[in-house]
Amino acid sequence: MQPQGEHSQSAFVSLIGGRQEEFSEGMVRLSLVLTEEHTNPNGVMHGGVITTLMDEAVGGVIASVRGIDVMRAAPHSTVEMNVSFISSARPGDTIVVEATALKVGRSAAFGEAVASRGSDGAIVAKGRFTFVITGGRS
Amino acid sequence: MLRSRFVGATGASLEERRSGYAKMSLVVRADHLGGGDEVHGGVITALMDSTLAIALRELRGDGAGLHTSIEMNASFLDSAREGDLVTVTGEITHLTASVAFGEASAYTSSGEIIARGRVTFALQQAKD
Repeated sequence: MQPQGEHSQSAFVSLIGGRQEEFSEGMVRLSLVLTEEHTNPNGVMHGGVITTLMDEAVGGVIASVRGIDVMRAAPHSTVEMNVSFISSARPGDTIVVEATALKVGRSAAFGEAVASRGSDGAIVAKGRFTFVITGGRS
Repeated sequence: MLRSRFVGATGASLEERRSGYAKMSLVVRADHLGGGDEVHGGVITALMDSTLAIALRELRGDGAGLHTSIEMNASFLDSAREGDLVTVTGEITHLTASVAFGEASAYTSSGEIIARGRVTFALQQAKD
């Protein structure tokens, strides 16, 4: 089901080359093709690329459940995140991040994200995010 | 000069580095924003990861093996907006032969804390 309203990608995710592949109620998928610009001094993907994509994807999936108009009236913001970096990725790899909502309440929302390599499906990272809904009330 | 191309591309600069400690700063630009008019959480976590990796490199020395982030958590306490100067400090709190732990904090120029984070690194030993 498509959520009502239009969901726009954030400026920072656009800057680093992220692309929204799917935005449906309860599922958001982003992708990014890694370049040298995404690397750390070890020559592999910087962890900040993953945390950026996951934050965006989970924020998006919570928006998809709440509805875009509801979100605009009472935005949600990340308050807590935890990410495990499981394996590395290199320039040329495509990273796919899929986010699902665990629970969307009145004042808080919880979601998870999985990042995988497009070529072989290997899990690169897993994350869990907590958002607070500003102005949320019963 | 930042060795991380990703963080370098954000416009962040390294202000201080010494054994077990590093400090970076960044002026928030329009293309650093997430939803609404606040800095994207990924900008802050990227700087935290790099600040702590540099602090650890300073502590271990140039001849040491590689270290890799394996776990990160962050609490976002407040936000920063376009034009704000954000400073991120990182300190290594514990180092063993195989793992290191560090804590990072992000502040605005008024000294208000906007985020706290913790990163765990796996360490490789230098090859002979």
